[in-house]
Amino acid sequence: MTCTAGLGLKTQHLDEILTSRDPGLWFEVHAENYMVDGGPRLAALAAVRDRHPISIHSVGLSLASVEPPDPASLRRLADLVARFEPIAVSDHLAWQKWNGVHHADFLPFPRTRAALETVADNVQRVQEALSRPILVENPSLYVDLPGHELSEAVFLTELARRTGCGLLLDVNNLYISASNIGFSAAAALDLIPGDAIGEIHLAGHDADPALDSRLLIDTHGTAVAEPVWELYERLIARIGPRPTLIERDDRIPAFATLMTERARAHNLLGRVVLTDA
Amino acid sequence: MHDLAAFQRAFGAAIARNDQSPRDRALGRALAIHRNTSAKAGQDALADNFPVVRALTGEQAFVACAAAFVEADPPREARLCLYGEGFDAFLTRYAPFAQLPWLTDVAWLERCVVEALFAADARALNGGDLAGAIETSAVLRLHPATRFGAFRSPVASIWRAHQPDAGEDALDHVGWRPEAALVTRPLAEVLVTEIDPRAIAFLHACAAGKPLGVAVETLAGGEVADIFSTLITAGAFA
Repeated sequence: MTCTAGLGLKTQHLDEILTSRDPGLWFEVHAENYMVDGGPRLAALAAVRDRHPISIHSVGLSLASVEPPDPASLRRLADLVARFEPIAVSDHLAWQKWNGVHHADFLPFPRTRAALETVADNVQRVQEALSRPILVENPSLYVDLPGHELSEAVFLTELARRTGCGLLLDVNNLYISASNIGFSAAAALDLIPGDAIGEIHLAGHDADPALDSRLLIDTHGTAVAEPVWELYERLIARIGPRPTLIERDDRIPAFATLMTERARAHNLLGRVVLTDA
Repeated sequence: MHDLAAFQRAFGAAIARNDQSPRDRALGRALAIHRNTSAKAGQDALADNFPVVRALTGEQAFVACAAAFVEADPPREARLCLYGEGFDAFLTRYAPFAQLPWLTDVAWLERCVVEALFAADARALNGGDLAGAIETSAVLRLHPATRFGAFRSPVASIWRAHQPDAGEDALDHVGWRPEAALVTRPLAEVLVTEIDPRAIAFLHACAAGKPLGVAVETLAGGEVADIFSTLITAGAFA
């Protein structure tokens, strides 16, 4: 496992990415941007892959949909994974597809035992198509839906146990969910079994300007917030280093700015002292 | 009651119908956030895929138009880099742009550019490949990225006036006349070339698998060598 810090791949930084030689630097891409027949974008990814490890993060398998993942999408993802041999492949504990429409977001659902069966089936289909385990990420939650039978931590832990998938722990998402719904992020974080966690995401969030400033929105448009860094330190002190991604998808700053933020995670990973050790 | 299928049906319908006043206030806020995020993703993808239409209409008018398109024809799959099929036809029906009928042509061209950008890789046929005698029975195969069309407006010139290497006043120098446009991707970049309108019938004949000797009849009366040279230089064939 590459237990170092990486960045989301931004094509506007391509020249700097290709010349960068920072130890342990890796890049994550959204699968759907590369599930195409050919062209310069795929060629650029191949050039990055020649120099750095990459991770493939899907945002569209709709793992929590009643309908199973679309076979054509699975085939394209499998081709991408076979070609680029990523260090990890991941998607979210959420759904996007309904009535033929793709909602480009991570929609919530009541975490029932029946839903666990559905998600586990979908994860297994994906893992069979890719011939490897995937990581499943906790999304940002904006409402405490009625009807939950399992907490998110228990649901994810049980999903990992049943399917052999790992977990992608997005510390920012957990912080947002805890703040919006009203639970302790630290307590929830402590419940996730460390050996299931294969990757960590860190990102920035914003208070909702239009609807309700008490609500936090997962915008990926700012630097990682201090309380999120504190949770991150708590997490890696408990479970040890894991591949950690700084995500930034909006208001993208200079590459050097992102690398400074990435250096903070890289340095923390380099001097982890396990609290239980 | 909390069956997953029933929940997704209700939640998806609530997002689609833009229900502003659900009984549960917290649920209403969450629905609004998901509706905004999902719609913004579609609108941002359109803005990325139709930069010239956006520049021509102005940001505010484009955002309103993109919002209307996303509502009428939302993304059907996760690859938003390919979103926007049918945007050109939508523009013909979009009342606020009724005075700008040529926007449809520009949108058609930009859609071709997106398709060309992500089309399969293939080595483009070059002049050297054709240096020897060409059999009239040979069939020229279009490169997977090749797209073409003829329009009443100067689409190729308008598109090129918006590229980074064009001068600031390039749009002012576009002559208003019909143009036929060829979209290709010979190397890493997509090219838009104005072509002789007779080349369109020739390209259609090639696409239909007609042998060169038959296809070339569509060019009767034209500068065959010039037209052929333009197509080869642009990388139209594979």
